[in-house]
Amino acid sequence: MAGVSTKAIKARMRSMESTRQITKAMELVAASKLRGAQERALNNRTYFRTLFEVMDMISRSSIDFKTPFMTAGKGAKPLYIVIAGDRGMAGGYNNNIFRFVTASLPKDAVIFPIGKKTAEYFRRSGWECAIDSVIPVGDLTVGSCFTLSRMICDWYLEGRFSSVTIAYTELVSLLTQTPRTAELLPIVFTGPETGEKHRSRFLYEGGDVHVFNNIVPEYMAGVLYCAVKEGFASEQAARRTAMDAASKNADEMISKLNLDYNMARQAAITQEITEIVAGSEH
Amino acid sequence: MNSFRLKIVSPDGCLFEGDAQLITLRTTQGEVTILANHTEYLAAIGMGRATVVTEAGRRTAACIGGILMAADNKVDVVATTFEWKEDIDADRAVAALKEAEEQLAAGGLDETRRKIVESKKRRAEVRLSVVRAE
Repeated sequence: MAGVSTKAIKARMRSMESTRQITKAMELVAASKLRGAQERALNNRTYFRTLFEVMDMISRSSIDFKTPFMTAGKGAKPLYIVIAGDRGMAGGYNNNIFRFVTASLPKDAVIFPIGKKTAEYFRRSGWECAIDSVIPVGDLTVGSCFTLSRMICDWYLEGRFSSVTIAYTELVSLLTQTPRTAELLPIVFTGPETGEKHRSRFLYEGGDVHVFNNIVPEYMAGVLYCAVKEGFASEQAARRTAMDAASKNADEMISKLNLDYNMARQAAITQEITEIVAGSEH
Repeated sequence: MNSFRLKIVSPDGCLFEGDAQLITLRTTQGEVTILANHTEYLAAIGMGRATVVTEAGRRTAACIGGILMAADNKVDVVATTFEWKEDIDADRAVAALKEAEEQLAAGGLDETRRKIVESKKRRAEVRLSVVRAE
């Protein structure tokens, strides 16, 4: 009886140890990826700030033209670009963003999923998706973001959607990641502030509407890329934290099992001694 | 020669910030050169070679997509991709070009994937043209 239980405990300890090895390894991988990802996310912010300054400057110059990007799209449905991970095992990273998005999602919204998990989740729960293919978030380069952005802009111009919103996870700190949404289209321009020096009109190469229609996809591509990188860094941070917690739990369980094992072993020895002593007395 | 403040950023970070005398790059409408005290100007960047002249000399780069804005003797280049010639990995570009060509030749890609692969191919071509130019 006692022999069986020490054996069973030993087996559980062994399986726990191998689980711990896996979680530890995943934690280390996430930590090393995080370092690069965080740096890239920060570089991105420099880019994004300049991009935003440029857009802001344009918006404050006198604009006397209209392009379809400034007015609500002709389509009936809003498009939501949702960015999450390709893999699980990242704590609440994927679920947090899904829950956050679905909470405010209009019934007729169309999803543009980025990341394998995103595509799986929204297809499984029956949302309409704009694309059939799965776009893994891991291998999205600047170039692919640009292509996607241009494609989405074309759809918008064709009148497939009424608005475009992006949902991603912001890396607030290594321990905090917050899901966010931002509206991309239509672009709202405030115009020059009252009392501000009136900025003269820009000279647009090839005509204002032409330049504008080319700049908008660039701007969106920039936002998209930043959101993807921000999301990737968040994913790594979330995975590292989750795997760290998992390793700690495993450690705790191993030490508890170790205690149980020693107690069972002790009990077995005591019993054997009792049996021998009892046998010799006869 | 008069100079202006030039700032070049891409998603990889800030690639240049300082005084320059001249910048030439390809917009969607063709090649333009900006000198100091340019009028307020806005253009969408196409795909091609960019040249920057500073006091230190002349540098070339592959510049793909983005926005060019000139105002108050300051020029901002917000590029989707901006790689100085010396930073371009020619072997990688050759490999990317080959891979894209193979994928396109194999077919079977849906519209989204095909567009991504096609633009990968064009980008590799631009990079190679910058590296191979004298």
